[in-house]
Amino acid sequence: MDLDFNSVNPQVMHVDINSCFATIEQQANPFLRGKPVAVAAYDSPRGCILAPSIEAKKYGVATGMRVIEGKKLCPALVILLPDPNKYRDVHLKLRKILAGYTNEFVAKSIDEFVLNLAGYPSVAELGMIGVARQIKQKIRKNIGDWITVSIGIAPNRFLAKVASNLKKPNGLEVIDKTNYLKVFAKLDVTDLCGIKKGYGSRLYCKGIYTARDFYNAPLWKLKSAFKSINSYYWYLRLRGFESDNVEFGRKSYGNSYALARPTVGEGANSVLAKLVEKMSYRLRSGGYCASGIHLTILFKNGRYWHKGVSFSEQLFATPQILKKTRMIFDMAPKIEIRNLAVSCFGLKSIGGLQLGLFNDLEKCFKLVLSVDAINKDFGAFTISSAQTLAAGNAVPDRIAFGGVKELEKIVF
Amino acid sequence: MISKLDESVSVSLAFDGVKKTIAPKVLIWKGRFYLIRKVGLHHKFRQGRTLFHVFSVASRTSFFRLVLNTDTLHWKLEGVSDNLAN
Repeated sequence: MDLDFNSVNPQVMHVDINSCFATIEQQANPFLRGKPVAVAAYDSPRGCILAPSIEAKKYGVATGMRVIEGKKLCPALVILLPDPNKYRDVHLKLRKILAGYTNEFVAKSIDEFVLNLAGYPSVAELGMIGVARQIKQKIRKNIGDWITVSIGIAPNRFLAKVASNLKKPNGLEVIDKTNYLKVFAKLDVTDLCGIKKGYGSRLYCKGIYTARDFYNAPLWKLKSAFKSINSYYWYLRLRGFESDNVEFGRKSYGNSYALARPTVGEGANSVLAKLVEKMSYRLRSGGYCASGIHLTILFKNGRYWHKGVSFSEQLFATPQILKKTRMIFDMAPKIEIRNLAVSCFGLKSIGGLQLGLFNDLEKCFKLVLSVDAINKDFGAFTISSAQTLAAGNAVPDRIAFGGVKELEKIVF
Repeated sequence: MISKLDESVSVSLAFDGVKKTIAPKVLIWKGRFYLIRKVGLHHKFRQGRTLFHVFSVASRTSFFRLVLNTDTLHWKLEGVSDNLAN
């Protein structure tokens, strides 16, 4: 099998907001513009940096660093706490702009969109580059003059993302049949999204170091490196053919929280209750019930413990889910906990809920939905179990990395 | 450094019928007038069924986070910082 690079005109666009959270904060507060800023989960020294600004990145400040590490690299670093509502609003404004160009667009995360513009009149009128420039212009006008995006254009989603990473901030790059080898020659295989240490070392073992080597490698060589169907997907991806046009359905709901102070067993109960309350509300709002619960605990000593349990009954009510979660929690070692994560899996539509013979499930169901309706109208945790009270402000509102499925339902 | 507050304030808001834009123009806080020179960002969020409009604005020397509760039409000042921002 010998396949050449896809010769069609590139019509897939990847739009990525540069240093999203930090840039939005600089947009909101003009006095922060041009200064090194980082949005961190907590402003304490061990707080995790979620997004450094373009200026902070120049000092080496990176996502995932501790606040104390960032401050060492850049003593003038301004640390801000996240404001999820602000970021959601900007996401929705950008979504509105992009919807003016195509119906075929997907939000890959809070700050990334993929657009398929094939066959849409805007491309015939302006061309792909023209559309990209107009999008940048509209963002400046309708969202804010400080917010910049990097746009990549290519024949498939993967190469469009690669193109958007070529120049940051405020880039506009194209990968097509005329320049792909030149672009690939400059990229190490680990610069490609999806290839990190594991796959990287497999490819190095086969003498594949750059994206150009990767492209030139025959399929049999890739098969021997990946030992799976992934070899074929990579073969297609690098040649500009689509292999990522897959939307994954919701498989689970989960919430996690890093405790302010390491706590032993019972002390974490209120946080666990709040996590379960939040997760189960999201589960029901999505129209699901679950049949399994998974608990992960990270201890102060750096070790972690996890356990997932499937149940015969369908779980949807908060007290029911909390009871099961507690049962799993009681199996965990009784040592100081730093981080708690709970998730539920085995999702089924709430409409297909099986009524039990010996318990009044329908009554319970109606009660739970009534409580949810009150919390929706008057704000989260207006009615919640007494166990969550001790948790105070723990488990605040956060933006998840990756999917933004629940964002699509927000209507003002 | 942004100081968090929760104070009722007086705000004059202007609507431009031609450009279809709205912007706070003057803030009165603790008896002092602040002329608003720039609206950095305007965003919305819901708390329960109540819709809030948040205006992140700047005077010549300070940054303010102004929040309008659309149920009561009352304004609150929720944050302030000087232009040193550190």
